[in-house]
Amino acid sequence: MEVFFQQIINGLTLGSIYALIALGYTMVYGIIQLINFAHGEIFAAGGYIGVIVLSFMQARGVLDTHPFLGLLLAFVLAMIYCAFLAVALETVAYRPLRGASRLALLLSALGMSIFLSNGMMLAQGVYDKAYPHFFTSGGFEVGGVIVTNMQVFIIIGSVLLMIGLNLFVNRTRLGKAMRSTAQDRVMSAILGINANKTIVTTFVIGAVLAAAAGVMVGLYYGSVRFDMGFIPGIKAFSAAVLGGIGNLTGAMLGGMIIGMVEIFAAGYLASEYKDVFAFIILILVLYFRPTGIMGEQVDDTRV
Amino acid sequence: MRSVKNLLVLMLTVGLILSPCLAMAKTLKIGSLSPLTGQYAADGNDIRQGVEIAIAMWEAKGGVPGFDKIEYLPQDSGCDGKQAVSAANKLANLEVAGVVGAYCSSATIPASDVLNDAEIVMLTPASTNEKVTDRGYKYMFRVCGRDDDQSKAAAEFLIDVLKIKTIAIVDDKTTYTQGLADNLEKELGGKVKVVAREHINQGDKDFSGILTKIKALDPDVLYMSLYNPEGNLMAIQAKRLGLRATLMSEDAVYHPNYLEIAKDAGEGTYFTFGQPPSEEIPEVKAFMDAYTKKFGQPGSYSSYAYDAANILLAAVAKVGADDPDKLAEEIRATNMQGASKKITFDVKGDSGSTYQILVVKDGKFVPYK
Repeated sequence: MEVFFQQIINGLTLGSIYALIALGYTMVYGIIQLINFAHGEIFAAGGYIGVIVLSFMQARGVLDTHPFLGLLLAFVLAMIYCAFLAVALETVAYRPLRGASRLALLLSALGMSIFLSNGMMLAQGVYDKAYPHFFTSGGFEVGGVIVTNMQVFIIIGSVLLMIGLNLFVNRTRLGKAMRSTAQDRVMSAILGINANKTIVTTFVIGAVLAAAAGVMVGLYYGSVRFDMGFIPGIKAFSAAVLGGIGNLTGAMLGGMIIGMVEIFAAGYLASEYKDVFAFIILILVLYFRPTGIMGEQVDDTRV
Repeated sequence: MRSVKNLLVLMLTVGLILSPCLAMAKTLKIGSLSPLTGQYAADGNDIRQGVEIAIAMWEAKGGVPGFDKIEYLPQDSGCDGKQAVSAANKLANLEVAGVVGAYCSSATIPASDVLNDAEIVMLTPASTNEKVTDRGYKYMFRVCGRDDDQSKAAAEFLIDVLKIKTIAIVDDKTTYTQGLADNLEKELGGKVKVVAREHINQGDKDFSGILTKIKALDPDVLYMSLYNPEGNLMAIQAKRLGLRATLMSEDAVYHPNYLEIAKDAGEGTYFTFGQPPSEEIPEVKAFMDAYTKKFGQPGSYSSYAYDAANILLAAVAKVGADDPDKLAEEIRATNMQGASKKITFDVKGDSGSTYQILVVKDGKFVPYK
């Protein structure tokens, strides 16, 4: 029985990470109908900034005296960097193609994904970069189930970030602007909402979440590599579609589902087919409910 | 204006007269296949750098007789059969004299089909699967050991020294890892019970599902028949989950990266690897000095790649690169002390295996006594 609960903890951890990345995909799709393929690379960039900052601090001995401050600094710096990266991405690769066909945007996103991942390879080298083991050890046992500190940190951290996002989107003016731009961009512009500012905000928030996920993944698994964004990016996008593209709650739910299915398939069925099972679930859900579990939320008004 | 035009005509004429002389410059082209990008790039670059050091040493000695310069063409095999085949085709078209590579057996075997048909000698520094040399290819050579020997050494250790009762084996379904795992299972015969035979995919990062399953079966040893990136992560996660089992792995995971990334989770892990020669031997010392000066610490297979390149260059120096059969014969007659081991080739192209057991102690690889 404890194997079952252990797998639940494992699944929640993995699912939280997918959920954080999926939110970025779903928000951007909701607002400009673009599958931001480069989002996976932003997640990887966040992981890299985390390891660079933490290694720097470890060399200076900061992690011995102020470990949590150092960790917080790593997160904040990764988020800031990725926010800038996302804004640059939007300005350079997506905004000029705002009026063009969807295909052009898609190709641009794909191109930026390849550009960024290879850029990281050239800048940071082909080898894995190891995270300091400072925080990754330690855990506690609850009735035969081992819960590591890192798993608790990831689950709680992700929940807090998602609650924060919910509050932002539902209670603030900027959040309301985002929701209305996603619902109907033309009408929002008529009502005086600055489309560019709103879109940039969406990218920034998505990047911040992805950066947090990147640092968490680095801490949890112990290392980062330049191509670490590709597969999680695909899975997170599938999670966003599973939950209903454009729908924030859907992305969180989809991420959790994909994470759980992966872990349980690995544990109880054949481990090498775990990805297959995750995608089978995706196909089944889309077959019976094409708009995803919670229904999609995109700008489908026709002027 | 007339004088400029005349000058141009003069230059062109001189150039045309001289160009045949330039075309006479003979270049010795050496190729290599190793994963330069992707997750196995660490070992792939170790191999590329090993070859570079060998070439640099030959150039310092005055180059290869009969050639004006050595051109090195490293290609990316990506540990993928299809990519390796297209890279091998490219090298065959460029008419290289020989190829050092590849790293993954799943890349070496398909690439060797191409190179053997093109009659280009291929020396693999790292592919240990038996099939590499068992097919009777005249131009295929292997500088490292073989997996039937490696699995024997591992099985003997597990049965006779550790005296274990149960084992869980994980592989990633590629030629090398699955071959080695199958061999190990066969060697363990009825003496050790294989409680779990699991598979992962190359590129997986999360093994918590499969490790939780293995933990419930409580084996004495977890044998990771994987490549380095997955091995590192599995070691960390196994320790984290509180797996009682001792970890054991093979030559692909044996790499300084394991110590760096797995850190204390890797303590006490056993490895099988080709016995490294004493650092007092002059050839070994020369390699270590040259490599650490240029690139830092060598990877597990840098010395094997260096030896492979040296063997190739020495053979070309003796018989030239025009007759592939003569070149293959010359290589087969090699008898030299390399930086990785003493190398002679048998009729199949194997150079013999001397696997020893190493263990991670205090963050370092030490031979097991």
